[in-house]
Amino acid sequence: MSAPTLTPADTADASAGRSAPATILRKLAATPEAGVVIACVVAFIWFSIAAPTYHSTDNLQVMGRDLAQFGILAIGESFVILTGGIDLSVGGLAGLAGILAGWFNVTHGMPGPVAIVLTLLICAGVGWWHGTMVNRLNVPPFVITLVTFTICKGLALSITSGTPITGLSNIFGDLSLYYAGPIPIPALIFVGVCVAAWFALERTYIGRQIYAVGGNKEAARLAGIPTQRRITSTYVVSSTLAGLVGILIIGRLGVADPSVAGSGYELTAIAAAVVGGVSLFGGEGRIVGIAAGAILLELISNGLLALNVNEYYQTVAQGVVLGVAILADRIRARYFGAGKR
Amino acid sequence: MTVEPTLQKSAPSLGRAVIARLRGVHKTYGPVRVLDLPELDLYAGQVVGVVGENGAGKSTLMGTLAGSVRRDGGEIEIEGRPLAAGSTAESARLGVALVSQEFPLVGQLSVAENLTLGQRPAGSKRRVLVDRVGQRRAAEAMLAGIGLDPASIPVRAQVRALPVPARQLIEIAKGWGREPKLLILDEPTSSLGPIEARLVLDLARRAAEQGGSVLFIGHRLDEVRGIADRIIVLRNGKLVADLTPEEATEDRLIREMVGNEIAHSEPKTAPTETPTMLEISGLTADGLGPVDLTVREGEILGVAGLMGSGRSRLIHTIAGAQPATGGTMRLAGKPYTPKNPGDGTAAGIAMIPEDRKQQSLVLFAPIRDNVTVSILRRISRRGVLGPRKVRAEATAITDNVKVRMQSVDQPIGSLSGGNQQRAIFGRAFAATPRLLLLDEPTRGVDVGAKAEIYELIDRAAASGMAVVAASSELEELLWICHRIAVMHRGKVAAVIERSAATKEGIMTAAATGLEQQEQQPRTPLELNGNPT
Repeated sequence: MSAPTLTPADTADASAGRSAPATILRKLAATPEAGVVIACVVAFIWFSIAAPTYHSTDNLQVMGRDLAQFGILAIGESFVILTGGIDLSVGGLAGLAGILAGWFNVTHGMPGPVAIVLTLLICAGVGWWHGTMVNRLNVPPFVITLVTFTICKGLALSITSGTPITGLSNIFGDLSLYYAGPIPIPALIFVGVCVAAWFALERTYIGRQIYAVGGNKEAARLAGIPTQRRITSTYVVSSTLAGLVGILIIGRLGVADPSVAGSGYELTAIAAAVVGGVSLFGGEGRIVGIAAGAILLELISNGLLALNVNEYYQTVAQGVVLGVAILADRIRARYFGAGKR
Repeated sequence: MTVEPTLQKSAPSLGRAVIARLRGVHKTYGPVRVLDLPELDLYAGQVVGVVGENGAGKSTLMGTLAGSVRRDGGEIEIEGRPLAAGSTAESARLGVALVSQEFPLVGQLSVAENLTLGQRPAGSKRRVLVDRVGQRRAAEAMLAGIGLDPASIPVRAQVRALPVPARQLIEIAKGWGREPKLLILDEPTSSLGPIEARLVLDLARRAAEQGGSVLFIGHRLDEVRGIADRIIVLRNGKLVADLTPEEATEDRLIREMVGNEIAHSEPKTAPTETPTMLEISGLTADGLGPVDLTVREGEILGVAGLMGSGRSRLIHTIAGAQPATGGTMRLAGKPYTPKNPGDGTAAGIAMIPEDRKQQSLVLFAPIRDNVTVSILRRISRRGVLGPRKVRAEATAITDNVKVRMQSVDQPIGSLSGGNQQRAIFGRAFAATPRLLLLDEPTRGVDVGAKAEIYELIDRAAASGMAVVAASSELEELLWICHRIAVMHRGKVAAVIERSAATKEGIMTAAATGLEQQEQQPRTPLELNGNPT
């Protein structure tokens, strides 16, 4: 198709005649992720001033390790949310994955790497099952993943009879406790997952098709996109990443502890995604925002700890952050059109 | 909830009292005046048939009376009392009941709950708790009121478990139960079998005999002529004819409906030498067929028909978006059996569906992503997309169809309807299809932009694509098509060459299912001017 020259006529947009700084500000305000990133910077500076130990290397390392846990869950969760679904199973599945890896490794004497790969495969299978149920039988994602969550919690306890599995291979500890320079390995894994997810969503045609499916499923279907396969793939990503998080958790603790299973991580993951500008209706949200959302939640919860704020109030504070983020996003959407519904 | 009270009034009200008085009622959507009625009176004891083409203003007229459409101006009085604009509650209070084709029923609730929705059963003593027995009794009375055997529709059943005809009857009972002064029936029989249809027609008669006024909107002309005491014809929002049943012959009605405007397009010469692109034989699907059709390369085949005649179904079945249940399709000589739209696009078919917002676009996403969505795989290198490549492709696609915009990064929802539609054409062209399927290609597009869309369709055909275009606008089909297939109840009633096509001929085939030739022997005679 040849492209004849054509001057695009000016359609309605007020920013055309503004001065450069105003345009940049406007663009920033119109970018959903900008607010979260700025909030991260502000929170970090503010806590650093208020609590001197906050930006110490030790504390930063702790934060890095925490991030690796629910940050990775948040990335996986976001894939599902982008298609308009939700995955409530990630916390429970992460817990069960840790137990399974420990059980394969210790009770069944499998070498560490084999136990890890087998666990991840099982998790991927769970994701495939979620996707299939959602696509074929039209089960609401909320329900089918809630089923998995419940089963995972129970299974983790049944397998271990409630007692932690000790004597894990070194590889688990190595994964979680070692450093590359001052940076803990799990934090690097988090960065790696972020980059991979960004690449998959922004730079591959499958990623763009996932956005299309989430934005308008019928339009995507009529455009010839295999919507069911795309939806299933997001559940597989989410479950597999949950498995990875489970393995990192047992490495950090040194034992596979069933009481860790299902400790509310999925809600933090969903919160991080929402704070990061992912629309629960699907089709909207970027990895930059999701990562920033996870970082912001971690900065705040760790900061409140550093300030010795009562634990009960910490939870309240997290709720407030979530509320403010949603409010800010809706107000932004109202003023800047994009994402308006 | 029964009909007895109104019965008593029936005798004295035959003196042609005015039930509804409309003066200067008008309504405009965008640049189009869809309704403009200087004067219309509806009398007691009359069934008034309303006919007109799609878009003639029938639904707007009903809506303004029922309050679901806010009129821009003019006065409406119901039995002398002024009707405020745009309030369904006000209309209901004054005694207007609309039985619409889209049933506003709550599927999860029972029949009884739906029939008594928003009101407590008469005489019920309970103020807080639900009076289920009272509800059921009231509901049964309402169903009996329209002459239904109480056993035929169980009032305890969930509405969504019932078939469409039953829901239509419930909707009618709901309207009837309000003891309306003005009963508006919007194609009430289109989903009913002959027995239920009879019942509804009797009901319309009964409402009139009881001193009410009935507006009966119908597509089947014979049915309207059979029931109405008076038939009004709407065209382009105006009342063009007000006829007695004797005057209203089928010919006359069709003539009034389509008007005397001559289609201003030159008949196109269809390509005859080109190979056949699509060959359909015996194709059936839910609500469709069997259909036999062929389309050549470079040919534009129009698909006409009334609402529900299977236009969209045909398009969707060819595209693979609706499963075929029988018959065969051949595309460029090869067997073609699509299981999903993905198979269709892989075989070289592009479809532009009817509803831009629901079926084509992600409105909040940038133009860039919307126009490249069907070619992502092709422009990726081993699955990986370069952002520059995507922008370049998007720019080329939008330039190709002259989308007026600031940049490919703005949300596509910020464009005008015509620009959005052109962008969708660009997206379809980018996939270099062999067969282009169009469903209402200019829906929601203003007049100026329509011509540009027609140019794009011409361009597609000129480049060798076969085009199948379904449309409810006859003028549009006459303007763009080489041949026109007219659908009637899921089947092709006639295939008319452009040179022989007239609005009357298409309308006749669409409304009656009969081919134009059967009632046309006089046309050649008239042309000769020599009837011997």
